[in-house]
Amino acid sequence: MAAAISIQGLTKKYVDVWQKQEVIAVNNLNLEVQEGEIFGFLGRNGAGKTTTIKMLLGLVFPTAGDATLLGKAMGDNSVKSQLAYLPEETYFYDSMTGWDLLDYYGRLFRIPEPERSRRVQICLEKVRLQKDAWRRSIRGYSKGMRQRTGIAQALINDPKLLFLDEPTSGLDPIAHAELREIVASLKDEGKTVFLSSHQLADVEIICSRVAIIHRGKLLTTGTIKELTAGERTEIVVQGKAVTNGLLGKLQALVPDTERTGSDTLMLRTEDDDKISAIIDIVRGAEAHVLSIVPHRRALEDVFVETVRREEASA
Amino acid sequence: MVAIAIARQTVREALRRRVFWIFLIVAVFLIGLGPVLGFLTPKESQTIMRSLGLAVILLAGLFITIVTCIYLIPVEIERRTIYTVLSKPVQRFEFVLGKFLGGFAIVFLSIAAMGAVFLALVYFQGTTRGPDAGVLVWLTSGKFPKEMVLGVVLTFFQMMLLAALTIFFSTFATPVLNFFMSFGIFIVGNLSSVTESLTTSKNGLTSAIGKIIHYMLPNFGNFNVQNAIIHPTTEISNQGVFIRNNIIYALIYSAVLLILAVIIFDRREV
Amino acid sequence: MATVIKKYPFETVRRRMSLLPAVLAGLGLAAFMQGQIDPDAKQFHPKDNFGKTANGGLNNEFLLLPLLGFREAAAGLLWVRCDEFFHSGDYDAILPLVRLITWLDPHAENVYITGAWHLAYNFTDANERSDRRYIAPSQSLLEEGVENNFDIPDIKFELGWQRYDKIKDFKGAEEAFKLAVATKVNKNSDDFPYGAPLKTLHILAHTYEKQGRIPEALEEWKLAIARSEEMLARSPKDYSAKSLHEAEVRNYAENIQRFNNRYSTTGHDSVNPSPYPEVLEPPPGSADKTPRSWDVAFKPELRIVRPKVFKVGGQFNSQDGARIDVRITDWNYQDRKITGTLNDFSVDPAQTILIDSISVRKNHFEREMDMSKDPKMYSFSQDFYRVVLSYNPRTTAPHLLDRFGWSGEGMTDAEKSHVFMDTDPDRTGTAYIEGQGAVPPVWDGKTVPFTNHSQPLRLIKVTYKISREQIMNQKPISENDIVSVQ
Repeated sequence: MAAAISIQGLTKKYVDVWQKQEVIAVNNLNLEVQEGEIFGFLGRNGAGKTTTIKMLLGLVFPTAGDATLLGKAMGDNSVKSQLAYLPEETYFYDSMTGWDLLDYYGRLFRIPEPERSRRVQICLEKVRLQKDAWRRSIRGYSKGMRQRTGIAQALINDPKLLFLDEPTSGLDPIAHAELREIVASLKDEGKTVFLSSHQLADVEIICSRVAIIHRGKLLTTGTIKELTAGERTEIVVQGKAVTNGLLGKLQALVPDTERTGSDTLMLRTEDDDKISAIIDIVRGAEAHVLSIVPHRRALEDVFVETVRREEASA
Repeated sequence: MVAIAIARQTVREALRRRVFWIFLIVAVFLIGLGPVLGFLTPKESQTIMRSLGLAVILLAGLFITIVTCIYLIPVEIERRTIYTVLSKPVQRFEFVLGKFLGGFAIVFLSIAAMGAVFLALVYFQGTTRGPDAGVLVWLTSGKFPKEMVLGVVLTFFQMMLLAALTIFFSTFATPVLNFFMSFGIFIVGNLSSVTESLTTSKNGLTSAIGKIIHYMLPNFGNFNVQNAIIHPTTEISNQGVFIRNNIIYALIYSAVLLILAVIIFDRREV
Repeated sequence: MATVIKKYPFETVRRRMSLLPAVLAGLGLAAFMQGQIDPDAKQFHPKDNFGKTANGGLNNEFLLLPLLGFREAAAGLLWVRCDEFFHSGDYDAILPLVRLITWLDPHAENVYITGAWHLAYNFTDANERSDRRYIAPSQSLLEEGVENNFDIPDIKFELGWQRYDKIKDFKGAEEAFKLAVATKVNKNSDDFPYGAPLKTLHILAHTYEKQGRIPEALEEWKLAIARSEEMLARSPKDYSAKSLHEAEVRNYAENIQRFNNRYSTTGHDSVNPSPYPEVLEPPPGSADKTPRSWDVAFKPELRIVRPKVFKVGGQFNSQDGARIDVRITDWNYQDRKITGTLNDFSVDPAQTILIDSISVRKNHFEREMDMSKDPKMYSFSQDFYRVVLSYNPRTTAPHLLDRFGWSGEGMTDAEKSHVFMDTDPDRTGTAYIEGQGAVPPVWDGKTVPFTNHSQPLRLIKVTYKISREQIMNQKPISENDIVSVQ
């Protein structure tokens, strides 16, 4: 698979004239996003997510580094017809109706009529904006309707590569879930999505790969599976025999074993292969296994750990 | 063309602003006041109506132009709508051009509206019209005061140049700063009869500064012909050439300002 | 504020710079077009349309400015325009502008001053004699300026100077200069810590002397000397203060000397016991050594040589340097009365007034006064005219004052009707020193001598009442036309 986005050493520095201080918004970022994947770009507010996207789209200019989008140098106007961007917290032209707004953006892509009207309709339907709102002005839209309109405008040109900046923030749970589904469905159409977010639950569900950025620096990147790897299983053992050497035997196999009650033990291990051995030992004693609970690490844990570790080392 | 689409959108957005309509309605009201004031001094009624009308068109045009054009670009940046535009295959020059054309159209619409009301009053005031002559007869007869149209048209080109100046400033200045700069240059540029006399000053520095102001800054004073045209007895020679030169001047200078705006805006981070 | 370190990676952005030459070319082209427009634009600048009359218009920009609240800016620009009219000699055009500017900006002190000067001095006849009808509006403009700018001395000074120099109204000048000296002290003024510049004290001293009020003049000189000494103590290298100081000391000494010589017997021989030692002397070569007044033996002659052309002359027995004042007016001439707002600077075209003076050489004076060339100034539209020939010692040269005294005490005419006693208390001078119950001056500078001034002014004066017919040379003027009315 070809790289949809390839970023090499992208850097953005600002200088505060009064403080004579240099602020590094994005620091030597290297990243590859493959075609067809939904890529999560994670970071706290001010981590440099939006600046990165703006550099890629030619809205701001990098201090150093380079990038290609769909094989073309960033800033190349010709590639923009295959791109889409949903900025965070956009007000749009709120005196326009949803239909007119999409029609306007269709014109900017030079889509001729009647193709343009067809596209507008397809997009509005796809984001499930109520039909009676199509011809109403955006000023009266709810936050969810605005975000739907925003995604619809991003789809108007049937783009290959979408940049979505916090598409689901601040929505009610139902709208949130619906929009998440809409974004997820883009993958099925073979589109590449560069999703900037700190809604980690969403990212975990819909993204195949993620990158974590903190203070302009890329901390880690990988598939969700890679990042959340390291399962831990908790095993609770009960029986009168717990005191009769069983504790010692189990501790020899699993160091993290402790007595949690008069006749219960708790074992924690990350090595699945040891589980059958444990069961064998328990069976051999006068005891039984009460529960075996596997604990997965959430993306949130990974994110928090990664960022905290970075802050501690800084 | 993309610029046209942007211009259309710009006009639509600008027409939604209340301040535009307030200026326009007040202006039309003031123009309408002309004949009323004229009754007070019947002998001068024509002069008062024409002078007031042209002055109001100039003043209202001035404020509509500045107040509209200073916001055209900054409001897109502030509301982040510019991201959705420039991330599309839209060149920045197309965006600036679209914004200018939009501002230009607003100026045209407002001057045309005020001009139409004004010319209608000139018609109904009847001093240049035969008692029973209809509009068409009046327009085609020699009695139609063409110089009133000239006054409106030159004001329009003056405002076009001001719109280009304001949009040029808006590519790098905040609206408040822009207001003062545009307004200031409009005032200075209006002193063309003073700056012209400065160019011949015996003091070298004064003369140099006078020349720079007179020839380099946009010269808004060129378009002020009200006084001569209000008094119909004034004979103007070379009128056609003068108007043509003024229009060419406005077009060239607006183009220069737009190119500069594009050069700056190409480097602007949004 | 954050600026941005950035490179421009995009070809289009770099390429756009290649448009800069086009920008320069465009600006050049615009400047060229401006050059094309200017000659035609002149037609639309009202000044060029109305070159010759006072109704010259103002461009839009001038009216736009006050409309927007830039009153002072508009006033300033109008004043620039006015300056052009001064250069082009378009004097009538200046007057309405001065009125408009001072209304727009009542603190434009130089406009009041220049405007008033312009009114008083620049409207003249073919022989450079001022049109006196403009004096009243000029004074009124200055008075308005003083009222609007009471806290600065400049306009008050100008008001005084015009009265002193142009009108010879020394009492009025004294009041104006006193007003200037009393101006409130302003920290930001050049004159700090005083309200008015030092020259105001000088001119006030001269004004007292012109009124024959010598002790007050001396007192003023002393104040000036004290002030220049203070200034020199503060900055010893102040060259102008130094030269002013030297002039003050010189003038003070001169005034004392003249006062002594003219009005006291101090240092004089006992041959002449007169209280007017110099001004009352026996005529030179006369056998009778009794001190007496000097007989000027005034013999006026007034003729019309052509219609509206006067020949004024005669005998006046004095040393060279005396000047005979001539005043030709309507019989009932009165200065324009300005009450309330001064709306315009117009003059009454039906009024005629001429003021001139002729110098006396070898006891003789003569001048032809052609009033026929300026019908706008001298319309002669009344039936009767007043021609006054007079001699006023107050405006005469010092060597004549030595003989006549500041108030003409030592001057007489054998023809008694020629001597006119002006008893107006505004014009009485210092009484002579001895024999009049006064105390001699105390020259130690501590006592103010002679604050009273009770000596009436003596003038030599002849008044003719002539008719329009006589002015048109249809009937001769004779001694019978001399009237006794003063």
